[in-house]
Parts: sequence; C-alpha cells; structure tokens
Amino acid sequence: MTSGAQASATGRQASLEGTVQPGATVQPEATVQPGATVLPRLLSASGRPADLAEHLRVHGRLLYRGGARMLIHSIESAGLTGRGGAAFPTHRKLTAVADQLGVPVVVGNGAEGEPASDKDKTLLWSSPHLVLDGLQLAAEAVGARRVHLYLHREPALVRHLESALAGRAAAGLDRLQVGLVTAPARFLAGEESALASRVGGGAALPRFTPPRVFEHGVDGAPTLVQNVETLAQLGLISRYGPAWFRAVGTEAEPGSMLTTIRLADGSGGVAEAAIGTPISQLLKLDRYPARAVLVGGYHGAWLSPEQAGRLTLSNADLRPLGAAAGAGVLAALPVDRCGLVESARVVRYLALESAGQCGPCLNGLPRIAASLNQLAQRRSTPADRDDVQRWSALVERRGACHHPDGTVRFLRSALAVFTDEVTLHEAGRCSARSPEPFLPIPAGSPAREEDWS
Amino acid sequence: MTTGTVFWYASRATGVVSLVLFSVVAILGIMVNRQGRLPGLPRFAVTGLHRSLSLLTLAFLGTHIVTAIADGYAHIPWLSTIVPFTSGYERFWIGLGTVAIDLMAAVIVTSLLRTRLSPALWRAVHWLAYVCYPVVVVHSLGANKDLRSGWLLALTMATVFSVLTAIGYRILAAAATVPRPARVPRQLVRADRTGSLR
Ligand SMILES: Cc1cc2nc3c(=O)[nH]c(=O)nc-3n(C[C@H](O)[C@H](O)[C@H](O)COP(=O)(O)O)c2cc1C
Ligand code: SF4
Repeated sequence: MTSGAQASATGRQASLEGTVQPGATVQPEATVQPGATVLPRLLSASGRPADLAEHLRVHGRLLYRGGARMLIHSIESAGLTGRGGAAFPTHRKLTAVADQLGVPVVVGNGAEGEPASDKDKTLLWSSPHLVLDGLQLAAEAVGARRVHLYLHREPALVRHLESALAGRAAAGLDRLQVGLVTAPARFLAGEESALASRVGGGAALPRFTPPRVFEHGVDGAPTLVQNVETLAQLGLISRYGPAWFRAVGTEAEPGSMLTTIRLADGSGGVAEAAIGTPISQLLKLDRYPARAVLVGGYHGAWLSPEQAGRLTLSNADLRPLGAAAGAGVLAALPVDRCGLVESARVVRYLALESAGQCGPCLNGLPRIAASLNQLAQRRSTPADRDDVQRWSALVERRGACHHPDGTVRFLRSALAVFTDEVTLHEAGRCSARSPEPFLPIPAGSPAREEDWS
Repeated sequence: MTTGTVFWYASRATGVVSLVLFSVVAILGIMVNRQGRLPGLPRFAVTGLHRSLSLLTLAFLGTHIVTAIADGYAHIPWLSTIVPFTSGYERFWIGLGTVAIDLMAAVIVTSLLRTRLSPALWRAVHWLAYVCYPVVVVHSLGANKDLRSGWLLALTMATVFSVLTAIGYRILAAAATVPRPARVPRQLVRADRTGSLR
C-alpha cells in the first residue's frame, strides 16, 4: 500500500467513525498549533501527500540548532521513543552515537519488513518532508556527515522520495545530501545490523553483535539507525517543542503513534492514534467482534478479545502480558477464522525468512513451523504440542538477532490464546467456518543470494 | 666435508623439509576452509597451526635459498631469488623454484595484511597457493635427482598424495554444501516430510 489516500487520520477523542476506511478523507485541513491535541500530526491532514510547498506552508522551514547535541535535550523532555518496534528512548541513542569517537552515519529506517505493517510506507508517501527534516536534524544532533534513507524497495515510493529530495535541494533546505538505499522485501531487512550491512553495500543479513551498530555500523562508523516515524516526530518536536508533543499520549508514553489497523470486517488502513487509546476503540470491537487480536505484528502477540477489550495501545498495558505496541500493528481476527491456521501460516513465513545463519534458527524454526502446521491441519497429538514448546525453548536467545525470540513469542501467545482450539484440533475438529486466509503473507520466500540485497 | 658441500647438503635438506612442511600447511589450510577440527584442539587452533607452520616453512625456505646461492658449485645469481629463469645452472628447474617463491610471497604478504585488505582480494590471492604447490613439486623433482628414487621418492609421493586427497575432500564437501538461502527451505521440506516429529 503506497497510496496516500490509504492513509487516514484519527481524532484522539473522536469516536473514530469511518477513520480507517481506505480512501476516507477525515479531518478538515488543520494547521497544528502549539499545545494542540489535534491528530493527525504526522500524516498529511488533507489525505493527499504533502508536497514541499504544502509542507512549508503548514510547518515552515526546518530550524537547525547550530551545533551537535543541542536538540537532544528537547527530545529527552518530550520523552520520544523509537517507533521501529523496541520503543527505546531516542535521546539515549542520540547521546550514545554522539559520544562515539568516529564521525557518525545516520540512517532513516523505512524498510518496513513487517508484512502486516504499512505505516512507514504510508508516512513516507504522505509526509516525506517531515521525515527528511528529521533526518537532517538527527544528523546535526550527532555530528554526522553522511546520511541515508533506507526504504522499502518499491519503485513508485523510491521515485516519490527522489523527487522530494530534488525539491529540497532546489530550495536549499538540506545541509547533507541524502543517499537513498533500497531494502529487499525481507522480514529481517530492517533489523539494524542487516540495515548497516546493506547500506554499506552488502546483503541485508543480520550480523553477530556486539559490537552494536551505534558503535560499529555502516562501513565501521558509529551509526544512528532511527525509524522514519521517529524522525518525523523529531521534525515536529524541533518545531513545536516537548510540551506540545506531550499534549497527547500518556505521562509515561507521550505522543501519538502510527498504527496499521485491520478490522475484523476485512477493511483497514493506517491511522495515527494517541498512545493510550483503547484497543477496542481502534479496532471497533463492539461493532466488529473478533476471535482474537494481534498486536505488534509477527514478532508480536495474540490477545484474547477480553484482554484486548480492557487494554489500551501502550506498553504499560501490553508488556505485563508479554505483548508490546511494537510498530503499531493491530489486527482483529474475524470470528469465523481459525487462529491456529493463521498462526501456522505466519510461523511458516517467519521460518522461511530466517537468514539461515545460526544453527538454532536454521534447524529449530522449520521444525516448529512443521509441528504447528500439523496442529493446524488437525493431524497432531498432545505430544506435538510439547515438541513445539521444547523446540521453542531451544531456539530462544540463541540467534545472532532477535528473530527466533520474536517468532517464539508469537507462537507461545497463539498456543495460549487459542488453547481451546488446540484441544479441538487434537480431537480432529476445528471451529472455524471460513478457510480464507486473513493475515497478509507476502508471496515468494528467499531462495537466492540476490533476494537479500 | 668442505664448506661447499655443507651448503650443498644444507640446501637439499632444507628443500625437502620445506616441501613436506608446505604439504602440511596446504592440508591445514583446506581444513581451515572447511572448518575442520583436529582431535583435542579447538577450531581456532587449526587456524593458528596453519599460520605458524607457514611461517616456519618460510624459515626453511629462506635457508634453502640462501644456502643454494652461497654454494659455489651451482652459480645461482641473487637475481634468481626474484626473477625466474635467470640462473645459468638448471635454468628451468631453478626458475620454477623462483616462480614458487613469487607466488608464495604474494600469498604470505596478503595474509599478513589481511585485516587491511578486502576479503575478496585476500581470497583471490590465496587461491595462488593451489598454483604454487604443483610448481614446488615439479621444481623439487626436477632440481633434486635424489627425490626420484628410494625413500625420498616415497616421501614425496606420500606428501603429494595427502595433499591431493585433501583437495578431493574439499571439492566433494563444497559440492555437498547447500547455499545459505536454500538451507531453511530444505530444512522445512525435511521437517514437513517427517510429519509428527517424534
Ligand atoms: C527482526 C527485526 C526486524 C526489524 N525491522 C525493522 C523495520 O522494518 N523498520 C524499522 O524501523 N525497524 C526495524 N527493526 C528495529 C531496528 O533494528 C531498529 O531498532 C530501529 O530501526 C531503530 O529505530 P527506532 O529507535 O527509531 O525505533 C527491526 C528489528 C528486528 C529485530
Ligand atoms: S537468528 Fe536467525 S535470522 Fe537472526 S541472524 Fe541468526 S539465522 Fe539469521
């Protein structure tokens, strides 16, 4: 999904009527005022992509701070955290990179390897200049002299960014020229060590850490990797200040975040929501009941409808259940689908997306996927369930990257939330009425070395 | 024994030792490439052994060259240590020895500078070791007639046979290696086939 028309906006207190239908135009054009709680902040309010003229009319030129580190204090007061999944405090990463000896490289991460997420592509389509402002400001903050934008390999999106960059060059906005690097459509392509390898000219394969990317990343230089949404937020905070940023969200997790929403009726889109918005509201669970809710994408976790009904989109609510807001994926599984069949499809996809570099990932994930498939196909016994659990424990924390851990988290939540269904399947039955696949799984798994670059 | 014959014998002896050492280094190199292990040694020890024995070979080779030139009987000019086919004595066989020295120098210098070179360049130059080895064997058999009979011939045959065996193993092992991107799909097909995993 690259069309800006798919991006829709969400009012914070609004009932979210019609907010996530593709193509919906929602809010009247609104200029963001300091202290305003109006959303969207990040996505273009008109629903059309904001070109440079519109960007400058709404937000004005970007304001360089005139030296390294000067912006970091505002970012700290704002309490901005990374929007790429881990919610790591952005000011700490900026400081860590600025403290390194070498001259840093800054990379905006728009790989969006997660198939269930569209928010980075939508943001880059809708508000490229906010992201590019953030990239320049982050580079100034850490004293970088080289910046890249790493983005999902999609010709229309790449052209869109190329023309945005050309417009900025003509207007003399950018101090550093931005190099565009395309990411292969691999689940792991956005993992930061894979990103560093790809930006350095290699394949998008995770490598063994430490050293971490912030110490030793692209071509060995200290590297700041920041999700594109994080950069866009930085572009806004630099203009409107920390207090404005904190006007929405919760005290512990301030601000708004982009979410990719899939309602149980099959519709969906990208919406900007205040952190702390009830999940049931975002997914309209009272109108479209769900069998279960997936939060955080394919490295995320399933929640039962009861859990989803009482929780908000925030790590404070989700972490105690082993889930996380992650990169903002929320999917409501329709009641007529089988959660085990869906989970088996996802785990199979994740196994095939393993880079095959570490033994536990290479040998373990395929076995887990095959066992889960047995279960989904109603050909298994309770002993298979034990096998899945045993293999899961064997691969956990044994990879060079987080892939086995994320996969195991997803799988365990499936077995916990769909436990009744597991019992039914072991008895040779299934409660689902529709065999139609629900969660998006990209066609084509990697088979050649070129598929990784 | 005159001074002349001391050099003569020293040169021959260090030449033979160099040949044997080079064979061992080659076999160890193949083991390093295939991530092989020696009983009782951790994997990195094989790499260490490959490296130290190659430097030891260099020491024997140095003695072999210096004594061959210092030996008044053969009249090999110093130039022949680097420029092939400049020796009046046994021009062709000594020339091959010089070719081997040049190839070996390239391999060793790039290995010492390995951390500063691109892995692809290092690897390309390291392939020259496979060219160097037969040149060394032909040089040895051609320049030293003692190697063509008796127990020295048996020794030479044994070392050459061991290296050829190791090369054969490397070729077979490389053919059996699944390319990285194909590994996971293969594992998945296997796991599917076994169905229930117990
Ligand atoms: C398996 C895996 C995949 C990831 N994919 C992405 C991605 O597609 N986009 C992204 O921004 N971050 C991704 N990340 C997180 C990045 O490694 C990195 O933490 C992030 O880009 C940092 O930016 P942030 O602090 O602004 O979130 C991934 C992490 C893992 C472990
Ligand atoms: S853990 Fe898996 S995905 Fe991560 S680097 Fe190792 S093999 Fe690749």
